[in-house]
Amino acid sequence: MSGKSSREARREARLQGEGEDAAGERRKRLLQLGSALVFLAIVAVAVLIVVNQNDSGGGDTSLEDTELVDGDLRGIPQSGLTLGNENAAVTLVEFGDLQCPVCKGFSEQIVPEVIDAKVRSGEAKLEFRNFTIISQESVPAGAAAVAAGQQGRGWNFIELFYRNQGPEVSGYVTDEFLTEIARGAGVPDIGRWNRDRKSQAALNQVSRTTAEAQKLGLTGTPSFAVIGPSSNGVEVLGTPGSAGQLEAAIETAG
Amino acid sequence: MTLPEEGTLRKIATFVAAFGIGVATYIAIADSGGGAPVCLAGGSGCETVANSTYSHLLGVNIAVFGIIGYALLLAASLMRGDEARMGGFVLALIGLGYSVFLTYLELFKIDAICQWCVASAVLMAVLFAVNATRMVGYVGRTA
Repeated sequence: MSGKSSREARREARLQGEGEDAAGERRKRLLQLGSALVFLAIVAVAVLIVVNQNDSGGGDTSLEDTELVDGDLRGIPQSGLTLGNENAAVTLVEFGDLQCPVCKGFSEQIVPEVIDAKVRSGEAKLEFRNFTIISQESVPAGAAAVAAGQQGRGWNFIELFYRNQGPEVSGYVTDEFLTEIARGAGVPDIGRWNRDRKSQAALNQVSRTTAEAQKLGLTGTPSFAVIGPSSNGVEVLGTPGSAGQLEAAIETAG
Repeated sequence: MTLPEEGTLRKIATFVAAFGIGVATYIAIADSGGGAPVCLAGGSGCETVANSTYSHLLGVNIAVFGIIGYALLLAASLMRGDEARMGGFVLALIGLGYSVFLTYLELFKIDAICQWCVASAVLMAVLFAVNATRMVGYVGRTA
């Protein structure tokens, strides 16, 4: 009797031990599976990140001509959206829309010549005034330029925007795009710029200069005007075809 | 170190996941109306983040994916067994990884912080801690 119960006890102990071994083995396998799932989870997150980056237009896009713009404008004083010596007798005003492809062409081919010939020397100053005609997106773009101007980088913003301009009304003027331009333009305080560009004052300035352009009878961008001692107030020049014409107008107004 | 009871971990996960559904639903509803979540502490961070292109994935607001994720985590917390333990762990890991990426975008790309997104990231971190403890501590053991 006692021998039988002893055998049963040993059998039970053996079975229990086998059960524990099996459970331990199963737990080990499940934890190994868990490790594999960690890898899969990391892959899933990586896929989500790639999709999100592509979906939002490329993430780390590098701006073009950052150094070129910086070099073109280096050493020239800026105040708001005015480039050049504030006390210059003549002011050349450009009414532009940052989304306008013709303005981009002017910015690359004509304006640099004028800057070198007349603005850098202090003979004239160049003022950008927003004339938003392309689409509603031109308004936040213009206000972003105004905000950059409040930190002395208005013209860097304008020129860099033109150099990296996207297809007209394609939706590229996003917060990320504007922020990237502001960074590339060297706006020192991006947080402040972010607040300023959404301020009523910046938006009002954009609508005020747009209304002014309309009042002057302008219908397209870029349109130029000149103000000087010999000009008849704000003298509208329209859209001259060469830097030489703008330079001549500055000389006449001076 | 003594692990908390699995029942306690499941209760915490249930509560946090339900709270997460609430947060994600608020963001999704605010966005669907063409607006943005209101930052309770003031500022325009929530609006800036909501208007950024990063706020949508394949044309769908990320908050919608958040609702789905929290709902699955809620289901995992209500279920017993190894499938629920492992499923909850993997979901929480994916959720946490993506939340870290979104927080990085807020800080370094969008330059704005949305409190609701931060709240969601914190909830996801708690869910990951709870589900990881549940998985490591109880997988392979009787439910």
